[in-house]
Amino acid sequence: MESLVYIALFAPFVGSLFAGLFFARSPKSILVGVVNPALIGVSFLASVALAMHVAEFGAVHVTMMDWISMGGLNIPFGFLVDEVSVTMMLVVTLVSTVVHIYSNGYMDHDKSFNRFFAYLSAFVFSMMILVMSDNLAGLFIGWEGVGVCSWLLIGFWYHKEDKPFEENPSISPSWAANEAFIMNRIADLGMLVGIFLIYWNVGSLQYNVVFDALPNLADGLLVGIAIALFIGAMGKSAQFPLHTWLTDAMEGPTPVSALIHAATMVTAGVFLVIRMSPLYSMEAVSGVSMFIAALGTFVAFYAASMALIARDIKRIVALSTLSQLGYMFAAAGLGAYWIALFHLAAHAFFKALLFLGAGNVMHAMDDELDIFKMGGLRKVMMGSYIYMGIASIALAGLPFFAGFYSKDAIIETAFNEGTYLIWIMLVITAGMTAFYSFRQVFFSFHGEERWKPLGFNPHDMYKYVLVAMAPLAILAISFGWFMDGYKAFITKNLPAYEMSDHTHHIAWLLGALVVLFAVIGIWIAYRKYAGKGAMAWQRDEKVENSFIYKLLENQYYVPHAYDRFIVQPYIVASDKFWEWDNKIVDGTVDTIAKTIYDAGDKSRTMQTGNLSTYLNWMGAGALLLIVAAAISAVIG
Amino acid sequence: MIGVSHYLILSGLLFSIGFVGVLRRKNLLMLFFATEIMLNAVNIAFAAIGNYYGDLSGQMFAFFVIAVAASEVAVGLGLLIVLYKKYGSLDLEVIANMKG
Amino acid sequence: MDHILSILIFFPLLAGILGFVVDKGSAKAYGISVATVEFLLAMWLWMSFDNANAGMQFTEFAPIISQFGISYNLGVDGISLFIVIMATLITLLGIILLDESKIANMKNMIVSLLFLEMTMVGVFLSLDAIIFYMFWELSLVPMLYLIGAWGGPTRVYAAIKFFLYTFAGSLVMLVGLLAMAYLYHLEAGVWTFNLLDWYQLDLSTDLQFWLFLSLFAGFAIKVPMFPFHTWLPHAHGQAPTIGSVILAAVLLKMGTYGFVRFSLPLFPDASVSMIPFIMTLSLIMVVYTAMVAFAQKDMKQVIAYSSVSHMGVIMLGVFAMNAEGLGGSIFLMLSHGIVSGALFMLVGVIYERTGTKMMSEFGGLAQVMPIYATVFGVMLMASVGLPLTIGFVGEFLVLLGFYQVSPIGTIIAGLTIIIGAVYMLTLFKRTFFGPITNEKNRNLKDLDRRELTALLPLVAIVIWLGIYPKPVLGPIDNSVQKLLVEMEYKARTQEAKDMIISMKPEKEESDKEAK
Repeated sequence: MESLVYIALFAPFVGSLFAGLFFARSPKSILVGVVNPALIGVSFLASVALAMHVAEFGAVHVTMMDWISMGGLNIPFGFLVDEVSVTMMLVVTLVSTVVHIYSNGYMDHDKSFNRFFAYLSAFVFSMMILVMSDNLAGLFIGWEGVGVCSWLLIGFWYHKEDKPFEENPSISPSWAANEAFIMNRIADLGMLVGIFLIYWNVGSLQYNVVFDALPNLADGLLVGIAIALFIGAMGKSAQFPLHTWLTDAMEGPTPVSALIHAATMVTAGVFLVIRMSPLYSMEAVSGVSMFIAALGTFVAFYAASMALIARDIKRIVALSTLSQLGYMFAAAGLGAYWIALFHLAAHAFFKALLFLGAGNVMHAMDDELDIFKMGGLRKVMMGSYIYMGIASIALAGLPFFAGFYSKDAIIETAFNEGTYLIWIMLVITAGMTAFYSFRQVFFSFHGEERWKPLGFNPHDMYKYVLVAMAPLAILAISFGWFMDGYKAFITKNLPAYEMSDHTHHIAWLLGALVVLFAVIGIWIAYRKYAGKGAMAWQRDEKVENSFIYKLLENQYYVPHAYDRFIVQPYIVASDKFWEWDNKIVDGTVDTIAKTIYDAGDKSRTMQTGNLSTYLNWMGAGALLLIVAAAISAVIG
Repeated sequence: MIGVSHYLILSGLLFSIGFVGVLRRKNLLMLFFATEIMLNAVNIAFAAIGNYYGDLSGQMFAFFVIAVAASEVAVGLGLLIVLYKKYGSLDLEVIANMKG
Repeated sequence: MDHILSILIFFPLLAGILGFVVDKGSAKAYGISVATVEFLLAMWLWMSFDNANAGMQFTEFAPIISQFGISYNLGVDGISLFIVIMATLITLLGIILLDESKIANMKNMIVSLLFLEMTMVGVFLSLDAIIFYMFWELSLVPMLYLIGAWGGPTRVYAAIKFFLYTFAGSLVMLVGLLAMAYLYHLEAGVWTFNLLDWYQLDLSTDLQFWLFLSLFAGFAIKVPMFPFHTWLPHAHGQAPTIGSVILAAVLLKMGTYGFVRFSLPLFPDASVSMIPFIMTLSLIMVVYTAMVAFAQKDMKQVIAYSSVSHMGVIMLGVFAMNAEGLGGSIFLMLSHGIVSGALFMLVGVIYERTGTKMMSEFGGLAQVMPIYATVFGVMLMASVGLPLTIGFVGEFLVLLGFYQVSPIGTIIAGLTIIIGAVYMLTLFKRTFFGPITNEKNRNLKDLDRRELTALLPLVAIVIWLGIYPKPVLGPIDNSVQKLLVEMEYKARTQEAKDMIISMKPEKEESDKEAK
């Protein structure tokens, strides 16, 4: 089993090295396009084998070697494959495999084809470290590793120039990449503090040791740790107020958005909370957990509201990701960890599918993002239309699709906990979700072909790419059917969350309510954007000039606020500090030096070169000494 | 009766004359004369005090001073001649070339 | 090889003197071969170093002026070993990077570098205060020459500022050292400048305080600590590439090393009582200079100021008073030496090509110089402390260790991972990303073989020690723990004893608690 763990972990790494070292400078290589997906596939197969092993025999724990050892600190490279991590491994490797194959088609014409695969495989490797590590420091390696890969991949088209904010809210790929990295770093500081707190109070960073020691810690300390770690999770999972980077991250190539900014990396924060469930389910930190749930709910609603009016096809999907992350946090915060994890997996499948479909559209439309310029694409892109449709249905949570089971369970949980405000918000958000996802589908695939006058020539993606996307489509439909089996599997590790009898009885009612909202959302979207008649396709000037529309369009002015109240003051302060450094700190030093120098310069005039003057000075000195001697004699 | 104090006053007067000469004179040769006067003033004081205490070492010191002064004059005058040949003058204002 | 340490110190000197008779054309080759031998000697030292022994090894002792207890006294332990190796490595790679066609008077440069190498190695190996002081001051001379002779337009100002500023500080330090010897004489009746003897001396807290301050003057200016840092940007701005590389990589470490070797064990009580003061200065260093670095227009100045910022983190580690922090700070000295050395080399490379270091002149370089951009990227990531690069290990340990001293201080110091990323990524974006704005840059050549030879070893080390730092951490850990045990034993006040966490007994206790 050990070797399987290593194969699962290192196959992507080998792929990254293969593409990075041997092909970095050569033109597009088919070999890379074949070998890299194959290696990720190997990793997936190893994960499957591990999953079966774990299901049968329980967790696998291996320790590879020591990493940092100093004083009382000892951090090994250790890997833990248990129910939680193997779920993540399966999700990560499966989506990665599909995305790798997909990238073959999507990045077909890119001159940095090989470099792309090197980065992408490196990302998978980092993500595997993140989920497989058996200690917090190892998790932090992966945590930062995915951050860097995300930085590299968002900024993949680094040669694009900066645009003003009004023209492109993400400014440029390199700008967006830096924003993502720095914002994640802010959260990472919180996470580091959490790690320090744990180390100095537990003496170890190994999960099992930490979990064993948790009951002995003081309440305040537990709250501190919980808050610090959650700050870390907020950064990676783009929770408010650290969320702005996620929409800007859409500057990266679409496969990257599908893999990193929808299916895997952004869920790392949720994973952390689930991983630390022994901590977050403690009585002492219930306040923090409730805050997590509340924040998640808020973000779910907040992001969905922005998605309602967004015109950029990728931004819509990114915002829906953000919204779904909010759902996951809501579930995790309410204690339903396994439901959060289940939704995480389901979401990974349908959201990756949605993104890849959006990628097909972009590919067909020469990287055009504005859905107002699309329309009627279903005639030319039937395959992508079906996939996008499936993914959107799953996202909207219509019955028997994956999202129906997982999202419904979260909403049910909120009801069961008696947190009705969260429940209502989540139900409303579900309706909004259905609306904006179908708005997007209708906009791009139905209606008249607005792209025709603009001179586009759309064509569907390569056949093999469409075939490769099939597993995601199948899972987007069917993943929910395995819910009970998965529950039996995962609750060996995570607390089993049971609904009360009361909730159980009216579960069908709750489910029907959610579906009702979703259907209403879809119906409105259909009426407005796909139907025939006067209402459809009309851009409503009055609405677009309204305050709320402006508010949503400008993302609640949060990026403006950051720019105005954080970035600009920071720049000004830096310049001021530099000025002070020159004028005050260095100036003081120079003044001292100058004083000494000037003293020498002034006394230089004594040095006339005239012996007579010297003798006069000597005489004066001698007299002075005599006088001093006389005075001291008189006094003494 | 001429006592030791008279000698010391004379010595002091001579020393002061020499000292003022050293400070005021601009000609190197005159400076030499002035230092000689000072030295001799000290010699008088040595001799007088030596006599007063009945101790011969004072007078011996005077002889040493005379010997040293003589050799100093020999060397010094030689240097003066060289300087004079070089600058054509012994005026300190003229040969001041170490101005800082 | 009984006298390996003497050989290590004086081989570069002798070779440097011989270097005067070497033919002009082969000066660089000569320099490389001497530096290689020196580096191999240092590696040999590591190979034969006993990892289990925490004390001084390979000690050499010969009285020089026995009346005053001044002696030729050398030794190496886990704290100094790796700094010496790094110094020899950086010198070697720096010499390799020298461009013969660009540097006038190559022979003089090689000789000064070899002389500098002697003084650097000497500082870290000396166990006698006078010998230490001698090497300490001698190191100024070749650096003064390097800046003054091969520097930029205002090189004389920068060189003199560097010399006088550091010299003034070290004179105060000398007074402290002499006072220390005098106090020892008062106590024991014999004169000695032997550091190991001084460790035994028990001083009143008052005396400790004043002596600490006097040594602080010398060390703090060298580090350089805020507000004594202003000589550094000038020196870096004007120094030739090799000068900046050695200055940042090794000379700055002399200051922090001095704190570890002298201030901590000699004055444990004063060190503990000075923690708030040092912490304040260091935190200002970390945050303030990082912000100043952000404001710079010149690539080299960004890295110069970032050095100050990182040295602040090292200072925090030194005064963390536990093995994690102190050991981490020593590892961070190494990693900062490697990384900042490499960054200065990289800036030197582009400066040689274009004659400018201004970021506004660049943009889009990643398209024309992909390998250069990659190496720069690796070093950038190490500089911002990415896990699995060398930069993370030290930074993590220091912050971890310092958390025990002050959580708030650690959070402020932790800002370094944010604002460090801000200025480095901004630099990277302005220089490498975006379209090529300056037509002149369109035909720049990527790294050539000479530059790769100098830079790739550093890349390898950055990754190797990031993944597997154990061979280096082990000896450091041993020596640091010994130091802490001595400090705790020597400390007079209970407060200081409580603050200093010497691991061994503590660990057993915590183990017991865990059980």
